[in-house]
Amino acid sequence: MNWATSEKPFKYAALSLTTFFILQVFLCVNLDKWVHPEPFESSQAGQLDPKIVSSLRAAALLSGYKVLVGHVFWIRVIQYYGDGSNGADHYAKLYDYCRLASDLNPQFLPVYTYGAAALAYQQNRMNEGVELLQKGILANPTVNNLKLMLAAMTYHNSEDYAKEIPFLEIQIAQGNAPTMLVNILANTYTKAGRIDDAIRLWRQILQTTDSDVQKYEASQKLKELYAIAKKNPSEKDKS
Amino acid sequence: MRRIFCVAQFTFRELIRSNMLYIWFLSVVVFSALAFLLSILSFGEVQKIFMDLGLVGMEFSGLLVLILSLAVTYNTEFDQKAIYLQLAKPITRGEYLLGRVFGFFSIISLVIIGMGLFIAGLVTLVGGGQVPVLFVYSTLFLLIEMFVLTTLGLTFQMIGTSMVGVVLYTMFTIFLGHGMGQVDWLLNQKLAPTVKTMLRIVHFLLPNLEAFNLKDRIYDPNLVLGWTQWQEVLLYAFAYSFVVFLIGWINLEKREFM
Repeated sequence: MNWATSEKPFKYAALSLTTFFILQVFLCVNLDKWVHPEPFESSQAGQLDPKIVSSLRAAALLSGYKVLVGHVFWIRVIQYYGDGSNGADHYAKLYDYCRLASDLNPQFLPVYTYGAAALAYQQNRMNEGVELLQKGILANPTVNNLKLMLAAMTYHNSEDYAKEIPFLEIQIAQGNAPTMLVNILANTYTKAGRIDDAIRLWRQILQTTDSDVQKYEASQKLKELYAIAKKNPSEKDKS
Repeated sequence: MRRIFCVAQFTFRELIRSNMLYIWFLSVVVFSALAFLLSILSFGEVQKIFMDLGLVGMEFSGLLVLILSLAVTYNTEFDQKAIYLQLAKPITRGEYLLGRVFGFFSIISLVIIGMGLFIAGLVTLVGGGQVPVLFVYSTLFLLIEMFVLTTLGLTFQMIGTSMVGVVLYTMFTIFLGHGMGQVDWLLNQKLAPTVKTMLRIVHFLLPNLEAFNLKDRIYDPNLVLGWTQWQEVLLYAFAYSFVVFLIGWINLEKREFM
């Protein structure tokens, strides 16, 4: 075909172009049905600055690197919770931070396990912890860890520690549980009166942890527990 | 076919000589360091972090190679008039363009697959983990995406009148192409009819890069990816690339080299 002297090739090209354009439009409409099976929905900004939230979402969605932004934002959440100065308002933004992190990266489980444990056990905001876990379970229906944690939290809320303990134990035994959860189990042993188990777990934490803060906490707890065990030797015998 | 292969081979060699493979080494170092840093700072799921960042690195390095290759070849082919030599040979302009597409695509594939093997090796040999099947599918989707973008970038090269323009058109298309998911969401909202029409036009004109974006969903239990989806994605990529290629071809035919 000689494009320079004849108009025919352009006619063929125009015809092919139209046909394939229509085909790609048709396919594009079909693709959307499975590429985005659920409508885009995101949590409200809550106590966070709406401008920051919007910019973050825009960066995540327009760049095509949603999960990367999610991972980086998760570090920000950890920094927020690790910063003692935020404790003045009892980490009021923690729930909103966790929700945003889970919007960006819904399959990243530490957002739910760490976030829910911090909210429910450490900040006594059980409802928010439960809501976060429920969101995680809906996004990851096949993951058992989150269901076990929800069960444990429900028993914790009703102060039924004896029933709570097996759920925490299974979750920790499965691995990938946040270190915070091991501390929670140790404290729950104490609340349930299982001083020997609590001592065993705190000693294990003391031996294995790299964190100085956790080492200090474990040694303090062990001091208290040894004192209790000395006062009530019958308790030790029972267990 | 042989002529197309010759152009592809020449392009491949030209890009290798332009030190494009250094991007691979650079990406491996940068993204491994970033993944290592994030896994230290984050809690748990180290393997997931490595996988996610690895896939991001693979796409990023592919895009970087594409954009730099477009800039380098625009300079040599159009500014330094090297295209005169190629078109003086017994080769049609369509064959030349197709050969260029394949040449670009082979170097991008080399970088992406190389990086993929490095990530998979790191996860299995060092981390002792397993590479999910979706990681492989995700890499294949990434290659399909790169093919579409290569065709589009080269078409911009045929249309554009400056190197900066070509690079900017390509970069904006990449950004907007990833925003197609949100355009789709907007189309289902209550909007003025004119706005909806405009959005619909944009939706059909720009490549829907979210269709190839499996990297954000390799751990998504709700993801459905069967033969039907593969067929749709492959057909869509082919149809879109073909349309774009034809536009590039027509522009090259119409272009006068003085």
